Amino acid sequence: MRPILLSGHERALTQVKYNPDGDIIFSVSKDHVVCAWFSHNGERLGTYHGHQGALWTVDVDPTSTLLATGGADNTMRLWEVKTGKLLKTWDFPTSIKRVEFSADGRQLLGVTEKRSGHLGTIVVYEIDPDPEAEQTDEQSLRIVCEDSKPTVAGFSYLAHYIISGHEDGTVSQWDAKSGELLYNAQVHEPDMLITDLQWAPDRTYFITASKDKTARISAADSLEVLKTYTTDTPLNSAAITPVKEYVILGGGQAAMDVTTTSARQGKFEARFYHKIFAEEIGRVRGHFGPLNYVAVHPQGTGYCSGGEDGYVRVHHFDKPYFDFLYEVEREQAQEQANL
Amino acid sequence: QDQAKKNTADKAVIEARRRLLQEWLAWRESMVRMLEEEGAVIELNGGKIPSEEDEGAEEIE
Repeated sequence: MRPILLSGHERALTQVKYNPDGDIIFSVSKDHVVCAWFSHNGERLGTYHGHQGALWTVDVDPTSTLLATGGADNTMRLWEVKTGKLLKTWDFPTSIKRVEFSADGRQLLGVTEKRSGHLGTIVVYEIDPDPEAEQTDEQSLRIVCEDSKPTVAGFSYLAHYIISGHEDGTVSQWDAKSGELLYNAQVHEPDMLITDLQWAPDRTYFITASKDKTARISAADSLEVLKTYTTDTPLNSAAITPVKEYVILGGGQAAMDVTTTSARQGKFEARFYHKIFAEEIGRVRGHFGPLNYVAVHPQGTGYCSGGEDGYVRVHHFDKPYFDFLYEVEREQAQEQANL
Repeated sequence: QDQAKKNTADKAVIEARRRLLQEWLAWRESMVRMLEEEGAVIELNGGKIPSEEDEGAEEIE
Protein backbone atom coordinates (compact mmCIF):
# COMPACT_ATOMS: atom_id res chain seq x y z
CA MET A 1 0.00 0.00 0.00
CA ARG A 2 1.25 3.48 -0.82
CA PRO A 3 2.26 5.58 2.15
CA ILE A 4 0.03 8.42 3.26
CA LEU A 5 1.70 11.81 3.47
CA LEU A 6 0.57 14.06 6.31
CA SER A 7 1.37 17.60 5.24
CA GLY A 8 0.10 20.04 7.79
CA HIS A 9 3.23 21.05 9.61
CA GLU A 10 5.34 23.95 8.47
CA ARG A 11 8.58 22.89 10.07
CA ALA A 12 10.55 19.80 11.09
CA LEU A 13 8.72 17.06 12.96
CA THR A 14 10.17 16.19 16.35
CA GLN A 15 7.95 13.33 17.59
CA VAL A 16 5.01 11.27 16.36
CA LYS A 17 2.90 8.90 18.46
CA TYR A 18 0.00 6.51 17.93
CA ASN A 19 -2.74 6.31 20.53
CA PRO A 20 -3.20 2.83 22.10
CA ASP A 21 -5.92 1.83 19.59
CA GLY A 22 -3.71 2.98 16.74
CA ASP A 23 -6.49 4.95 15.02
CA ILE A 24 -5.01 8.36 15.83
CA ILE A 25 -1.52 9.76 15.27
CA PHE A 26 -0.31 12.78 17.25
CA SER A 27 2.53 14.83 15.83
CA VAL A 28 4.60 17.71 17.18
CA SER A 29 6.89 20.01 15.28
CA LYS A 30 9.12 23.03 15.57
CA ASP A 31 6.13 25.03 14.23
CA HIS A 32 4.57 25.16 17.77
CA VAL A 33 1.45 23.18 16.77
CA VAL A 34 0.27 19.76 17.93
CA CYS A 35 -1.72 17.86 15.28
CA ALA A 36 -3.99 14.81 15.55
CA TRP A 37 -4.64 12.68 12.44
CA PHE A 38 -6.68 9.61 11.53
CA SER A 39 -4.06 6.97 10.86
CA HIS A 40 -6.11 5.06 8.24
CA ASN A 41 -6.59 7.93 5.79
CA GLY A 42 -4.40 10.78 7.01
CA GLU A 43 -7.28 13.16 7.60
CA ARG A 44 -6.44 15.80 10.17
CA LEU A 45 -8.93 15.71 13.01
CA GLY A 46 -7.63 18.51 15.13
CA THR A 47 -4.90 20.80 16.36
CA TYR A 48 -3.90 21.91 19.84
CA HIS A 49 -2.82 25.55 20.07
CA GLY A 50 -1.12 27.31 22.94
CA HIS A 51 2.58 26.52 22.97
CA GLN A 52 4.81 29.53 22.34
CA GLY A 53 7.87 27.72 21.00
CA ALA A 54 9.15 24.68 19.17
CA LEU A 55 7.65 21.42 20.41
CA TRP A 56 9.97 18.54 21.23
CA THR A 57 7.71 15.85 22.59
CA VAL A 58 4.22 14.36 22.86
CA ASP A 59 2.58 11.39 24.56
CA VAL A 60 -0.98 10.16 24.97
CA ASP A 61 -2.36 8.37 28.01
CA PRO A 62 -3.51 4.71 27.78
CA THR A 63 -7.20 5.65 27.51
CA SER A 64 -6.64 8.30 24.79
CA THR A 65 -8.17 10.89 27.12
CA LEU A 66 -5.17 13.04 27.99
CA LEU A 67 -2.35 14.33 25.83
CA ALA A 68 0.95 15.61 27.23
CA THR A 69 3.33 17.90 25.34
CA GLY A 70 6.56 19.72 26.04
CA GLY A 71 8.73 22.21 24.26
CA ALA A 72 11.09 25.14 23.99
CA ASP A 73 8.67 27.53 25.72
CA ASN A 74 9.72 25.86 28.99
CA THR A 75 6.29 24.37 29.60
CA MET A 76 4.87 20.92 29.87
CA ARG A 77 1.15 20.88 29.08
CA LEU A 78 -1.77 18.53 29.50
CA TRP A 79 -4.67 18.57 27.01
CA GLU A 80 -8.00 16.85 26.68
CA VAL A 81 -7.68 14.77 23.51
CA LYS A 82 -11.35 14.98 22.49
CA THR A 83 -11.94 18.72 22.88
CA GLY A 84 -8.44 20.15 22.51
CA LYS A 85 -8.91 21.95 25.80
CA LEU A 86 -5.74 22.91 27.67
CA LEU A 87 -6.07 21.36 31.13
CA LYS A 88 -2.78 22.20 32.78
CA THR A 89 0.49 24.06 32.21
CA TRP A 90 3.58 23.30 34.27
CA ASP A 91 6.36 25.92 34.01
CA PHE A 92 10.09 25.20 34.13
CA PRO A 93 13.32 27.20 33.88
CA THR A 94 14.38 25.32 30.72
CA SER A 95 12.75 23.46 27.84
CA ILE A 96 11.06 20.07 28.05
CA LYS A 97 12.75 17.47 25.86
CA ARG A 98 10.64 14.41 26.59
CA VAL A 99 7.30 13.54 28.21
CA GLU A 100 5.99 10.05 28.87
CA PHE A 101 3.09 8.47 30.74
CA SER A 102 3.49 5.32 32.82
CA ALA A 103 1.72 2.20 31.50
CA ASP A 104 -1.31 2.86 33.74
CA GLY A 105 -1.43 6.57 32.87
CA ARG A 106 -1.30 7.57 36.55
CA GLN A 107 2.15 9.17 36.32
CA LEU A 108 3.69 11.56 33.84
CA LEU A 109 7.38 12.27 33.57
CA GLY A 110 9.18 15.16 31.93
CA VAL A 111 12.84 15.57 31.05
CA THR A 112 14.04 19.15 31.43
CA GLU A 113 16.95 20.55 29.44
CA LYS A 114 20.29 21.42 31.00
CA ARG A 115 21.07 25.07 30.31
CA SER A 116 22.55 28.26 31.82
CA GLY A 117 23.08 27.18 35.39
CA HIS A 118 20.29 24.60 35.41
CA LEU A 119 21.10 20.89 35.55
CA GLY A 120 18.98 18.47 33.55
CA THR A 121 16.20 16.92 35.61
CA ILE A 122 13.55 14.24 35.39
CA VAL A 123 10.30 15.31 37.05
CA VAL A 124 7.26 13.17 37.82
CA TYR A 125 3.64 14.19 38.46
CA GLU A 126 0.75 12.05 39.66
CA ILE A 127 -2.01 12.35 37.06
CA ASP A 128 -5.75 12.23 37.67
CA PRO A 129 -7.17 10.50 34.57
CA ASP A 130 -10.42 12.48 34.83
CA PRO A 131 -10.25 15.42 32.38
CA GLU A 132 -12.53 17.45 34.70
CA ALA A 133 -10.14 17.04 37.63
CA GLU A 134 -7.73 19.66 38.90
CA GLN A 135 -4.19 18.41 38.20
CA THR A 136 -1.49 18.79 40.80
CA ASP A 137 1.29 21.39 40.84
CA GLU A 138 3.35 19.20 43.10
CA GLN A 139 6.11 16.98 41.74
CA SER A 140 5.98 13.50 43.24
CA LEU A 141 9.63 13.06 42.27
CA ARG A 142 12.46 15.22 41.01
CA ILE A 143 15.71 13.62 39.90
CA VAL A 144 18.66 15.94 39.28
CA CYS A 145 21.14 14.49 36.80
CA GLU A 146 24.50 15.80 37.93
CA ASP A 147 26.78 13.61 35.84
CA SER A 148 25.39 13.76 32.34
CA LYS A 149 22.49 15.57 30.73
CA PRO A 150 19.43 13.35 30.27
CA THR A 151 17.90 13.44 26.79
CA VAL A 152 15.18 10.78 27.01
CA ALA A 153 13.44 8.82 29.76
CA GLY A 154 10.52 6.51 30.44
CA PHE A 155 8.85 4.20 32.96
CA SER A 156 9.63 0.48 33.02
CA TYR A 157 7.09 -2.30 33.66
CA LEU A 158 4.92 -1.54 36.71
CA ALA A 159 6.73 1.82 36.91
CA HIS A 160 9.40 0.09 39.01
CA TYR A 161 12.17 2.03 37.35
CA ILE A 162 12.68 5.20 35.45
CA ILE A 163 15.19 4.55 32.70
CA SER A 164 16.98 7.55 31.20
CA GLY A 165 19.32 7.97 28.24
CA HIS A 166 22.04 10.59 28.35
CA GLU A 167 24.21 12.88 26.28
CA ASP A 168 27.32 10.81 27.10
CA GLY A 169 25.90 7.53 25.77
CA THR A 170 25.04 6.10 29.18
CA VAL A 171 21.72 4.74 30.38
CA SER A 172 20.62 5.14 34.01
CA GLN A 173 18.19 3.11 36.05
CA TRP A 174 16.42 4.98 38.87
CA ASP A 175 14.09 3.75 41.56
CA ALA A 176 10.84 5.32 40.34
CA LYS A 177 9.55 5.78 43.90
CA SER A 178 12.62 7.11 45.74
CA GLY A 179 14.52 8.59 42.81
CA GLU A 180 17.65 6.77 43.91
CA LEU A 181 20.17 5.98 41.17
CA LEU A 182 20.39 2.19 41.06
CA TYR A 183 22.66 1.62 38.11
CA ASN A 184 24.39 3.37 35.24
CA ALA A 185 25.68 1.62 32.13
CA GLN A 186 27.69 2.75 29.12
CA VAL A 187 25.21 1.36 26.61
CA HIS A 188 26.38 3.45 23.63
CA GLU A 189 29.78 4.78 22.59
CA PRO A 190 31.18 7.31 25.10
CA ASP A 191 30.08 10.90 24.44
CA MET A 192 27.62 9.84 21.77
CA LEU A 193 24.19 11.33 22.45
CA ILE A 194 21.26 8.97 23.00
CA THR A 195 18.48 10.35 20.84
CA ASP A 196 15.57 8.03 21.57
CA LEU A 197 14.31 5.39 23.99
CA GLN A 198 11.23 3.32 23.18
CA TRP A 199 9.74 0.38 25.05
CA ALA A 200 8.74 -3.12 24.12
CA PRO A 201 4.96 -3.56 24.68
CA ASP A 202 5.51 -5.14 28.11
CA ARG A 203 8.23 -2.66 29.13
CA THR A 204 10.71 -5.33 30.23
CA TYR A 205 13.14 -4.14 27.58
CA PHE A 206 13.73 -1.05 25.50
CA ILE A 207 15.59 0.17 22.46
CA THR A 208 17.85 3.21 22.39
CA ALA A 209 19.08 5.07 19.30
CA SER A 210 22.29 7.05 19.24
CA LYS A 211 24.49 9.34 17.21
CA ASP A 212 27.03 6.47 17.38
CA LYS A 213 25.09 4.97 14.42
CA THR A 214 23.74 2.07 16.43
CA ALA A 215 20.51 1.16 18.14
CA ARG A 216 20.60 -1.25 21.06
CA ILE A 217 18.10 -3.30 23.00
CA SER A 218 18.73 -3.49 26.76
CA ALA A 219 16.92 -5.26 29.59
CA ALA A 220 15.07 -2.90 31.95
CA ASP A 221 16.11 -4.68 35.15
CA SER A 222 19.78 -5.49 34.40
CA LEU A 223 20.57 -2.80 31.76
CA GLU A 224 22.39 -5.60 29.95
CA VAL A 225 22.72 -4.89 26.22
CA LEU A 226 20.94 -7.78 24.49
CA LYS A 227 21.10 -6.66 20.86
CA THR A 228 23.05 -4.17 18.77
CA TYR A 229 21.93 -2.90 15.35
CA THR A 230 24.77 -1.28 13.44
CA THR A 231 24.08 1.22 10.65
CA ASP A 232 26.09 3.73 8.63
CA THR A 233 24.31 6.88 9.74
CA PRO A 234 23.61 8.74 13.00
CA LEU A 235 20.28 7.58 14.39
CA ASN A 236 17.50 9.76 15.77
CA SER A 237 14.93 7.11 16.59
CA ALA A 238 14.30 3.40 17.04
CA ALA A 239 11.09 1.44 17.56
CA ILE A 240 10.21 -2.16 18.41
CA THR A 241 7.43 -3.75 16.36
CA PRO A 242 4.79 -5.92 18.02
CA VAL A 243 3.58 -9.09 16.18
CA LYS A 244 6.76 -9.44 14.08
CA GLU A 245 10.24 -9.61 15.56
CA TYR A 246 11.59 -6.47 13.90
CA VAL A 247 12.94 -3.09 14.87
CA ILE A 248 12.67 0.09 12.78
CA LEU A 249 15.47 2.65 12.84
CA GLY A 250 15.43 6.22 11.54
CA GLY A 251 18.07 8.87 11.19
CA GLY A 252 20.33 10.43 8.59
CA GLN A 253 22.94 13.09 8.43
CA ALA A 254 21.46 16.60 8.68
CA ALA A 255 22.21 18.82 5.68
CA MET A 256 24.32 21.18 7.75
CA ASP A 257 26.52 18.30 8.89
CA VAL A 258 27.51 17.09 5.44
CA THR A 259 29.04 18.82 2.44
CA THR A 260 27.02 16.76 0.01
CA THR A 261 23.31 16.90 0.59
CA SER A 262 21.71 14.51 -1.86
CA ALA A 263 18.99 12.33 -0.39
CA ARG A 264 21.01 9.24 -1.28
CA GLN A 265 24.05 10.35 0.67
CA GLY A 266 21.90 11.61 3.50
CA LYS A 267 20.53 8.07 3.92
CA PHE A 268 17.03 9.26 4.71
CA GLU A 269 15.50 5.82 4.95
CA ALA A 270 13.65 3.84 7.59
CA ARG A 271 15.68 0.68 8.16
CA PHE A 272 14.16 -2.60 9.20
CA TYR A 273 16.28 -5.08 11.16
CA HIS A 274 15.39 -8.47 12.49
CA LYS A 275 15.14 -7.93 16.23
CA ILE A 276 16.67 -11.26 17.28
CA PHE A 277 19.25 -11.83 14.53
CA ALA A 278 20.18 -8.12 14.26
CA GLU A 279 20.42 -8.35 10.47
CA GLU A 280 19.08 -5.68 8.16
CA ILE A 281 16.10 -6.92 6.17
CA GLY A 282 14.82 -3.86 4.33
CA ARG A 283 14.67 -0.10 3.86
CA VAL A 284 11.90 2.33 3.09
CA ARG A 285 12.69 5.56 1.30
CA GLY A 286 10.57 8.67 1.04
CA HIS A 287 11.74 11.49 3.25
CA PHE A 288 14.10 14.08 1.85
CA GLY A 289 15.60 14.96 5.21
CA PRO A 290 16.62 12.97 8.28
CA LEU A 291 13.96 10.91 10.02
CA ASN A 292 13.55 12.47 13.43
CA TYR A 293 11.15 9.90 14.85
CA VAL A 294 9.65 6.53 13.99
CA ALA A 295 6.58 5.12 15.76
CA VAL A 296 4.93 1.73 15.34
CA HIS A 297 1.19 1.07 15.35
CA PRO A 298 0.42 -0.61 18.72
CA GLN A 299 -1.18 -3.57 16.92
CA GLY A 300 1.82 -3.88 14.62
CA THR A 301 -0.08 -3.14 11.41
CA GLY A 302 2.01 -0.18 10.27
CA TYR A 303 4.36 2.61 11.23
CA CYS A 304 4.83 6.30 10.73
CA SER A 305 7.88 8.54 10.56
CA GLY A 306 8.29 12.24 11.21
CA GLY A 307 10.97 13.97 9.16
CA GLU A 308 13.16 17.00 9.25
CA ASP A 309 11.45 17.74 5.88
CA GLY A 310 8.20 18.64 7.69
CA TYR A 311 6.23 15.56 6.66
CA VAL A 312 4.78 12.59 8.46
CA ARG A 313 4.69 9.44 6.32
CA VAL A 314 2.24 6.73 7.36
CA HIS A 315 2.81 3.18 6.12
CA HIS A 316 0.49 0.21 6.37
CA PHE A 317 2.35 -3.09 6.23
CA ASP A 318 1.62 -5.44 3.33
CA LYS A 319 1.27 -9.20 3.43
CA PRO A 320 4.96 -9.96 2.63
CA TYR A 321 5.92 -8.07 5.79
CA PHE A 322 3.88 -10.46 7.90
CA ASP A 323 4.79 -13.57 5.92
CA PHE A 324 8.55 -13.09 6.11
CA LEU A 325 10.22 -15.63 8.40
CA TYR A 326 13.76 -16.90 8.71
CA GLU A 327 14.08 -20.62 8.24
CA VAL A 328 14.90 -21.17 11.93
CA GLU A 329 11.75 -19.21 12.86
CA ARG A 330 9.71 -21.45 10.58
CA GLU A 331 11.25 -24.49 12.27
CA GLN A 332 10.40 -23.08 15.68
CA ALA A 333 6.80 -22.37 14.65
CA GLN A 334 6.53 -25.92 13.33
CA GLU A 335 7.86 -27.38 16.58
CA GLN A 336 5.39 -25.29 18.56
CA ALA A 337 2.56 -26.51 16.37
CA ASN A 338 3.61 -30.14 16.92
CA LEU A 339 3.60 -29.85 20.71
CA GLN B 1 34.90 -27.86 -3.02
CA ASP B 2 33.71 -24.22 -2.99
CA GLN B 3 30.16 -25.46 -2.75
CA ALA B 4 31.11 -27.69 0.19
CA LYS B 5 32.72 -24.72 1.95
CA LYS B 6 29.65 -22.61 1.31
CA ASN B 7 27.37 -25.27 2.72
CA THR B 8 29.46 -25.45 5.89
CA ALA B 9 29.33 -21.67 6.22
CA ASP B 10 25.55 -21.63 5.71
CA LYS B 11 25.20 -24.34 8.30
CA ALA B 12 27.20 -22.31 10.80
CA VAL B 13 25.02 -19.23 10.16
CA ILE B 14 21.85 -21.25 10.63
CA GLU B 15 23.22 -22.83 13.82
CA ALA B 16 24.04 -19.36 15.18
CA ARG B 17 20.55 -18.11 14.38
CA ARG B 18 18.97 -21.15 15.98
CA ARG B 19 20.96 -20.45 19.14
CA LEU B 20 20.02 -16.72 19.14
CA LEU B 21 16.36 -17.59 18.71
CA GLN B 22 16.41 -20.15 21.56
CA GLU B 23 18.21 -17.72 23.87
CA TRP B 24 15.77 -14.94 23.10
CA LEU B 25 12.67 -17.09 23.55
CA ALA B 26 13.99 -18.48 26.85
CA TRP B 27 14.68 -14.96 28.15
CA ARG B 28 11.26 -13.74 27.03
CA GLU B 29 9.61 -16.65 28.80
CA SER B 30 11.43 -15.77 32.03
CA MET B 31 10.26 -12.15 31.69
CA VAL B 32 6.63 -13.21 31.17
CA ARG B 33 6.86 -15.44 34.26
CA MET B 34 8.28 -12.53 36.26
CA LEU B 35 5.42 -10.25 35.09
CA GLU B 36 2.88 -12.91 36.04
CA GLU B 37 4.37 -13.22 39.52
CA GLU B 38 4.28 -9.43 39.87
CA GLY B 39 0.68 -9.27 38.65
CA ALA B 40 1.55 -6.90 35.81
CA VAL B 41 -1.86 -6.93 34.15
CA ILE B 42 -1.30 -4.07 31.68
CA GLU B 43 2.16 -5.26 30.67
CA LEU B 44 0.89 -8.80 30.04
CA ASN B 45 -1.88 -7.35 27.88
CA GLY B 46 0.65 -5.86 25.45
CA GLY B 47 0.69 -2.48 27.21
CA LYS B 48 -3.07 -1.93 26.96
CA ILE B 49 -5.27 -1.53 30.02
CA PRO B 50 -7.57 -4.58 29.83
CA SER B 51 -11.14 -3.45 29.19
CA GLU B 52 -14.17 -5.09 30.76
CA GLU B 53 -14.98 -6.58 27.36
CA ASP B 54 -11.58 -8.28 27.32
CA GLU B 55 -12.21 -9.75 30.74
CA GLY B 56 -15.67 -10.93 29.64
CA ALA B 57 -14.13 -12.65 26.65
CA GLU B 58 -11.67 -14.46 28.88
CA GLU B 59 -14.43 -15.80 31.09
CA ILE B 60 -16.21 -17.29 28.09
CA GLU B 61 -13.05 -19.23 27.28
